[in-house]
Amino acid sequence: MALLDVNRLTVSLTTKTGTLDAVSDLTFSLEPGRTVGLVGESGAGKSMIGRTIAQLLPPGFAVSGGALMFDGEDLVTMAPDRRRALLGRDIAFIPQEPLSALNPVLTIGQQFREHLDHIGKGGAGWKDRAVAEMEAVRLTDPRGLLDRYPHQLSGGMCQRVLIAMAFASRPRLLIADEPTTALDVSVQAQIVRLIAEMQERDGTAVIFITHDLRLAAEICDEVIVLYAGRQAEYGPAEVLFRTPAHPYTRCLELAVPDVAGAPRGLYLLPERMPGLKAIAELTGCRFAGRCPLADARCRAEEPALAEVGAGHVSACWKSFATEAIAPPQAPDRVATGQEKILEAQGLTKSFVTKWRMFRGATLFHALKSADFIVRDAEFVGVVGESGSGKSTLARTLIGLETPTSGALELLGRDITGTDGGTRDWRQAQMQIVFQDPQSALNPRRKVGTIVGQALEVEVPRPAGAEIEARIRQLLSETGLSQEMVARYPSQLSGGQKQRVNIARALCRLPRLLIADEIASGLDVSVQAQLLNLLLRLRAELGFSMLFISHDLAVVRYLCDRVLVMSKGEIVESGATEDVFANPRHPYTRSLLAAVPKGVRQPAMTEAST
Amino acid sequence: MEKRFFWLRSGRVITGLSIIALLVICALFAPWLAPNDPTEQDILNTLVPPVWQTGGDWTFPLGTDGLGRCVLSRIIYGSRIALTVAVFGALGAMILGSVLAHIAGYFGGWVDWVIGRVVEIWLSFPPVILSLILMVGLGAGLQNVILAIIVVDWTRFCRVLRSDVMVVARRDYVAAARLLGFSHWRTVTREILPATLPLLITLMSLEMGVAVVVEAILSFVGMSVGAEVPAWGQMIADARADIYQAPWTLILPILAIFVTVFGFNILGDGLRRTLDTRLTQTERA
Amino acid sequence: MSGPVMKLLLRRLLTLIPTLILVSLLLFCILRMLPVDPAAMSLPPNATNAEIEAMRIEMGLDKPLIQQYGIWFGNIIHGDFGASIHYRTAVSKLVLDTLPATIELALAAMVFATLFGVLGGLWLFYTRGGVVESVLDLGTVALLSIPEFLWGLFFMLLFGVSLDLLPFIGRLGAGVDRPETITGFLLIDSLLAGSPLTFLDAIRHMILPSVALGLSAAPPIMRILRSTLMDVYQEDYIHQARQRGISEGRILIFHALKNAFLPTLSLMGVQFGFLFGGTLLVEIIYSYPGMGNLMVDAIRNADLPIIQTVGLTYCVMVLLISMVVDVLYLVLNPKLREA
Repeated sequence: MALLDVNRLTVSLTTKTGTLDAVSDLTFSLEPGRTVGLVGESGAGKSMIGRTIAQLLPPGFAVSGGALMFDGEDLVTMAPDRRRALLGRDIAFIPQEPLSALNPVLTIGQQFREHLDHIGKGGAGWKDRAVAEMEAVRLTDPRGLLDRYPHQLSGGMCQRVLIAMAFASRPRLLIADEPTTALDVSVQAQIVRLIAEMQERDGTAVIFITHDLRLAAEICDEVIVLYAGRQAEYGPAEVLFRTPAHPYTRCLELAVPDVAGAPRGLYLLPERMPGLKAIAELTGCRFAGRCPLADARCRAEEPALAEVGAGHVSACWKSFATEAIAPPQAPDRVATGQEKILEAQGLTKSFVTKWRMFRGATLFHALKSADFIVRDAEFVGVVGESGSGKSTLARTLIGLETPTSGALELLGRDITGTDGGTRDWRQAQMQIVFQDPQSALNPRRKVGTIVGQALEVEVPRPAGAEIEARIRQLLSETGLSQEMVARYPSQLSGGQKQRVNIARALCRLPRLLIADEIASGLDVSVQAQLLNLLLRLRAELGFSMLFISHDLAVVRYLCDRVLVMSKGEIVESGATEDVFANPRHPYTRSLLAAVPKGVRQPAMTEAST
Repeated sequence: MEKRFFWLRSGRVITGLSIIALLVICALFAPWLAPNDPTEQDILNTLVPPVWQTGGDWTFPLGTDGLGRCVLSRIIYGSRIALTVAVFGALGAMILGSVLAHIAGYFGGWVDWVIGRVVEIWLSFPPVILSLILMVGLGAGLQNVILAIIVVDWTRFCRVLRSDVMVVARRDYVAAARLLGFSHWRTVTREILPATLPLLITLMSLEMGVAVVVEAILSFVGMSVGAEVPAWGQMIADARADIYQAPWTLILPILAIFVTVFGFNILGDGLRRTLDTRLTQTERA
Repeated sequence: MSGPVMKLLLRRLLTLIPTLILVSLLLFCILRMLPVDPAAMSLPPNATNAEIEAMRIEMGLDKPLIQQYGIWFGNIIHGDFGASIHYRTAVSKLVLDTLPATIELALAAMVFATLFGVLGGLWLFYTRGGVVESVLDLGTVALLSIPEFLWGLFFMLLFGVSLDLLPFIGRLGAGVDRPETITGFLLIDSLLAGSPLTFLDAIRHMILPSVALGLSAAPPIMRILRSTLMDVYQEDYIHQARQRGISEGRILIFHALKNAFLPTLSLMGVQFGFLFGGTLLVEIIYSYPGMGNLMVDAIRNADLPIIQTVGLTYCVMVLLISMVVDVLYLVLNPKLREA
């Protein structure tokens, strides 16, 4: 008998007007030692299974049908005491945000001890047991860690602590909910391998929840692709990744750029996944509205899961017609001009971290002597992990920080000065698109006034009709409908917010855009739309861009040249294809190696860290 | 836009506004509402009980105090002092405090440091003590009471608003506005103030309640508008002498103060909920 | 752990000096606006103008303000707070005689405020989302609307005058032995003197004023504890603890309360500062022989040296309270400890 047996599990939200299904008829089973991946965009319902197991569903949500059996026990109807006895002991969780999943005011030791007490391994000698568990996840100096607080540890270390706690009870089932999303690329790979290794040691069954199909294909035995709360496809990871039966799986894969292989375009999924309300009103296949293969039958009748291969099921009337969905042509490369738009020489920014009398200031060099040029209509990518100085670079270029030393020229004019004239000129020629659209858009302004903000203070002030015309033009250029003018940011989706953000920056037609992580945190289909939008806008308007990102594949897709940053230094730079094909610096090589490629890795122990 | 008056749908806001409206009516129409002259002493009719007690008399519906003055009339007239102090004291404290809060929170750096230190020095005075000392220095009188309230209570606004301004000022849209060429003035008034306004209005409502209490305290210690002007705190101070014979002369002004302050507080609480201010912040007020 | 605490204490003590200088300067300037002439006040009403003028020179009132301040502050440093104009005794003695009573009252009130505040906050939190909560919440708004002096008068009327349950005048009843003054704290002195009856009587006298004071400081504490607990329960570590099967009781006590208590504590620092000022009103109502009554009498007599010194003493006490709270905050908050 399977360890976990999920049979037609339905989780719904009860509202005043009726019930809305967040997860419908989820069915799968999991044997000890196996890993199943739950893949889907945000809102697909992939976190619901973990929350159902722990009975920590969001308010209003409840299981409304089906069964969820753990080793013969019904997890839906289980008494709270019995569940608490299972949780943490037989069923363990690894969270998404390791830093916030540990209590900030308790030491690692206090939290570890509590957990050991809970699983019956506390009492005298708990310290040695905690140290042993932490050694197993290769934390250095575990005894010293016991007295430390979470904020003194890096995200990767916190995740290791949480993994050590999770595996301390030799759990039979582990639920890992996006355990690597909040971590840097190189740490991600280590954590994934570590989980696999611990799993092998204890014969644990794992539910691995992720939005990254390639990552899932690399580490899981089986993968379930969820769409709008329903299983689109369920099958062996390799089969599902190489020959997807469901058009959604295929589209999902084609919507993400690669770090290697021949250049290709991104598949553009139109619109968005239907929300809970929209699902309830849908007849037919939930994906039909966005599916390139959909016909009248797809819109009328909902397909059931049907076997399409050994252990491989798909809910589609046209399973295996997916080859018909071809990747679009790679976007045309715009010939970049020779004019130097931005030139930085020896650009340095240091922060005073500590100031002591007599001993002077302790400096932190966030940016060390950066030299680079951005040419006309050129997209330059800046890649690196957190703390590499990418954001400091952006803030220094745009003028939010003053450089400590170095030269900075925009269109041949020195812009290190802070006088009003220089500032006005720089602002007209260079604009920034901020990372977090939530924070970048004033929630109390309407979209129209946000987009036309720059014209409010232009001297002489343009006429009202002129401003309005410009706003409408910007909206249509960035693919936003004209009704958006009167909306507030809170009424927009993440992708729409980012378009407004871009439209505002483009208002006065700057020659250079600085974009700080503007494609991260978006669902893959939205990300693909945004990347193509940037390419189209460049072809139409001809601006240059410094594109900062931690996502190498996105940079490869979008940028002509790339700068690789590490610890405040540019360690490698060159044409994107050259750098990706022949990385010279070891740091670049390790970054590239850490990116999941969708190929199952042979069982290996973690590389020395 | 029908949404503009959405806050009127809160029961708390309605309750608060009703109480305040009643107060305003009392203050404006005191000469017509009061049955007697509030300062006229009637030596023959001292400590007359309210009408519902034996010996009560409709000439003095709520009885008289130790000097034979009509308690109801004094309470009605007392609302004038309370309301004047509440409006002008709170308004002044709000203007001084919120201007400094926006300057400190927006510019940060040494400006913030200086304002922060001034607030800290102010906070080392217990408000009661500082207002007393100010009244000693300034002398009695309505204007001085208002001035004392402003000088003491601007820190309430400054403290709470400053951290709110700082949070908003760190948002990227504020940086974006600056980078689009907005002046500091325009950035603060167009991008920051709209975000801090709900908190400001809420604090203003709460501060009006505080002002009423401070005036009552000062009257009670005899350091406010002077013994001859009818004020609730003064009534309490006068009534203490007759606590055994005429407890109602003490209870009635206590109730008047409580109801008034409750009105301002419930309005503030309602506004806080409906205007979507950050709850934990206003709790610190 | 004691390292950073000592460092903070040292730093706070160092910043205390400039703060005190500024506080005293402010105090001095406000009081120099006084409309009555302290020189005239210190002489009999029939004194001639020449006598008053001579007194002004003797008191240093003819010198520039800043010089007067310098003289006053210089004397303070030497422990000389001047002499009362009205009582003709050293101000320092008057203050030291009354300060312990006020501290005793304030400490008792702080205990009550913490007790009511924390229990009330937990109660509010436990009933969250229900009808009980909305009733309780309305109750806290009502409680917030009752300042300490209204509580004081109300309790005096109810428990003192009407029900005659508790005494409401002074620190001790008429027939009770007064212990020899050793520390000035009646509770300690009565125990040292071995007279439990005096001790009990002192406690009975303290109940009404300190509960009145505590009740007025408690509602903000309740409300902030409730709302920070609500915030904390949204945090990932609470979710993770639940996923680990930790019981709700343990989550509240071990995980949530310690985090939620930090903002509560910093509010309590401010509240207790206000509370210390509130003792003045309660002392007047209950004829409690503390600094408050000394202060109000001094104001009636325009006894400037007393007003100045008592005012300054109140500030010192508030600064000490906030220092203690800061240290506690540091002890509870590991993130601040290494900064």
